[in-house]
Amino acid sequence: MHDMSTHAVQHHAPPTSFIRKHVFSLDHKVIGKQYYALALIAALAGMGLSWLMRIHLGWTNAAIPGLQLLSKNGAPGGVMTPEYYLQLMTMHGTIMVFFVLTTAPFAAFGNFFLPIQVGAEDMPFPHFNMMSFWVTFVAFVVLMASFFVGDGPTLGGWTQYAPLNAVGAVAGPGQGLGVVLWATSIALFCVGQLLGALNFIPTTLDLRVKGMSLMRLPLSAWAWFITSCMGLTAFAVLMPACILVILDHVAGTSFFVPSNTVINDQLLPHSGGSTLLWQHLFWFFGHPEVYIAIVPGIGIVSHILVTNMRRPMLSHRVLIYSMGALAVLSYMVYGHHMFVSGMNPISSLAFSFPTLVITIPSTIVVLIWVFSLYGSKLRINSASLFALGFISMFVSGGVSGFFLAQPSIDIMLHATYFVVGHFHMVMGVAAMFGIFGGTYFWFPKMAGRMMNETLGKIHFWLSFVGTYCIFMPFHYLGMAGNVRRYSTFVDDFLQPLIPLHRFITVAALLTGAAQLIFVYNLIHSRFWGKLAPDNPWDATSLEWSTATPPPFDNFGGQHPVVYHDPYQYGVQSSTGDYVMQASPEQVKTEHEEK
Amino acid sequence: MSQADLTMEAQTTDLTIGPAFSFPTKKLAIWLFIIADTMTFAACLVAYGFLRNGTPDWPRPFHSITNVALMTFILLSSSLTMLIGLRSAKAGDKAGAFRWTMITAALGIVFALLHVREWLALINEGMTLFKNPWGTGLFGASFFSITGLHLTHVTCGVIALLVVGVRYQGGRYNADDIEILGLYWHFVDLVWMFVVPLVYLLNLAH
Amino acid sequence: MATAEEHKNNGIGKDVAIYVCLLALAGLQFVIAYQHIDASQMFSRMLAVAFVEAVLAAMFFMHLWSEKRGFLLFVAIFSIFVLLTLQYGWTDSFRMVSGAPFSK
Repeated sequence: MHDMSTHAVQHHAPPTSFIRKHVFSLDHKVIGKQYYALALIAALAGMGLSWLMRIHLGWTNAAIPGLQLLSKNGAPGGVMTPEYYLQLMTMHGTIMVFFVLTTAPFAAFGNFFLPIQVGAEDMPFPHFNMMSFWVTFVAFVVLMASFFVGDGPTLGGWTQYAPLNAVGAVAGPGQGLGVVLWATSIALFCVGQLLGALNFIPTTLDLRVKGMSLMRLPLSAWAWFITSCMGLTAFAVLMPACILVILDHVAGTSFFVPSNTVINDQLLPHSGGSTLLWQHLFWFFGHPEVYIAIVPGIGIVSHILVTNMRRPMLSHRVLIYSMGALAVLSYMVYGHHMFVSGMNPISSLAFSFPTLVITIPSTIVVLIWVFSLYGSKLRINSASLFALGFISMFVSGGVSGFFLAQPSIDIMLHATYFVVGHFHMVMGVAAMFGIFGGTYFWFPKMAGRMMNETLGKIHFWLSFVGTYCIFMPFHYLGMAGNVRRYSTFVDDFLQPLIPLHRFITVAALLTGAAQLIFVYNLIHSRFWGKLAPDNPWDATSLEWSTATPPPFDNFGGQHPVVYHDPYQYGVQSSTGDYVMQASPEQVKTEHEEK
Repeated sequence: MSQADLTMEAQTTDLTIGPAFSFPTKKLAIWLFIIADTMTFAACLVAYGFLRNGTPDWPRPFHSITNVALMTFILLSSSLTMLIGLRSAKAGDKAGAFRWTMITAALGIVFALLHVREWLALINEGMTLFKNPWGTGLFGASFFSITGLHLTHVTCGVIALLVVGVRYQGGRYNADDIEILGLYWHFVDLVWMFVVPLVYLLNLAH
Repeated sequence: MATAEEHKNNGIGKDVAIYVCLLALAGLQFVIAYQHIDASQMFSRMLAVAFVEAVLAAMFFMHLWSEKRGFLLFVAIFSIFVLLTLQYGWTDSFRMVSGAPFSK
């Protein structure tokens, strides 16, 4: 053995200076909150952009007061140009996918709760963890900077399809410096998430306390573990792809620009590259990324539901295996994003089959939820409502996936609002509902105060109804042939659909405004909410057996010992109908993992 | 001093389940990094292969294999010296471990210098990232980016070898750290075994 | 670490043997490079040899062989699976030359 134990003690003295405590903190709980704050700011920015886009789609020639201040050329007199619409759309997608849906459910909640749920004092590499957040923060700043430099952010969509992403300013505003900033930001983001995964996986595997076997991990911990395994390899492919894009811009290479490409009547000097190469590299990351966004939601929602329905899931193991199957399959289906991109039609077949197979684990997950809920006395609170909302969105958005998985149908629907509605429901809003549910559920532990339940329920119903009002019509629009990414529909056969667009715009504005209730609730409760007890939901997992908020080393200098499954509800014990994981009490249970 | 070491301490006092694979958490982390890095290199090599396969006028400019053979020999030998250093460290021979780690770093430096010399020769022949005298400009782009990525890894590895070696000598690091660094160094070697045939030998002039 | 000593400690001889094997295989690559065969055949031979080299290096230089079997499987299955799924794109590479399955 080595001399390491002598060093071990002094390391864990809590920091005292403000900077080390709140800014460059090594504490996983502070880093989790920092990620949450970043995601909140990013979400508000992304939502603001969607408002601007929706207003433009409903009332194309309307001037949006003040928009000219953001971009003089993009919105002269406050009226958005088509190019500026695309720029806002690109930024909306990038901000939401990377800086909200990846950071909030995975990095924010995972950082805060994964170590506590396994019983650890911290992540194994706190310095990496701190770097992970700050690199992500710099990535966000670089991305937002593109609003204010040159001719604005890139307009290529969050997928940044080649060759537009590689040819430079000739392709339109933002395609020069804007793309370089975009690619730099995303490459940095990849580094940040890689550092995160390097912490998450060892935390789950190595830092578990006595008695915490893998099958005794809560479902949320499993979800974060599976997600970090995906993030480890997916982001590692996107990073070099982004660097190649940057090289195409600044070094004159042509990885992604084919020979004889003419853009805006100019023959480009590039030659020899392949546009499909970018799409393969991007979607190799892109599809796992979809599951990186949704699997933590599945875990969080399961964790909330099982606590509120006061009995274990129908099958703990099958739920875990299904999440694992989703992760495995996510690497084999990425080409279903490319059915209309000119990919080899034979590959379409190879991608279509596993895409249909992926509905099996998804359906199993939903069935386990539904049958576990059936006949249970579910406690209705904001968290469980959002969990139910998650299931609703996951099903409604997922069902259209059956259609899109088939190339023959997808070719008709892919470039329309049908797909936009599909992914907003199944990935965007569902994951958002997971974040909301997690916030209402864990806020007492994170902030030490309760959130306002009435406001939470109002927030839920407005968001739930609003979301359906926004995204269900998208499917109809898509089937009617409404092309996506167009900034306006005034001059063509889509004109009859404008009233529907206006309805969606109003719904989007109202639903967005309802989110301000959440922000108000969050901030108000943070400072003036009712003080939270240690275990407000009568829950069982380890995060509820420590103090609220948790002390610097999570368990106050002690290591808990785990005696029970994560979800022993519906039993007779001294505390009521549940027995906590860390409670040595012997109770009669139906089933107990080893 | 990191949390990984705390885990080890906690394990000895029987408070946690302990490392899942019975080795230090730091070693698990470097393995995970290696898996991720494998994907980074694989993405670059697949991109190169994709473009090379699809380009009929791909140039084959390499006439001599002397330099690349020498580089391969040096890098492989540095893996062996790394292993000897690790064995010395495990056996408690601090001076031997330090000496062999430094020899490994020196071999790494020689490799990097040979690599840079080769780059300069190619640049002198007129090869840049976007054009070369022999055919499609993609050749220079993929050659410089893949070997550049590898050279970056070698450079980082050399710096790490020097730092860890000196700190091992000073007692801050132990045999585990040498082992972890060794894993990285062998990985850099392993990648080179793919770079040589795919990037050099397939482009050999006949 | 206790298990480090549990490694099958065959001494320096095994390392040198693997080293010589790797040198020989690397030399074999150079021999293949000078064979007069077409590029695709050369590519597959080289890749096969490189794969053997990689397995040798990972198993013995990186000591994967003497780790717990579960860890060996974790690393091998994980990395080989993701590496394989990265290969979907090749059909489009061939189409850059031949245009198949569509006519030129």
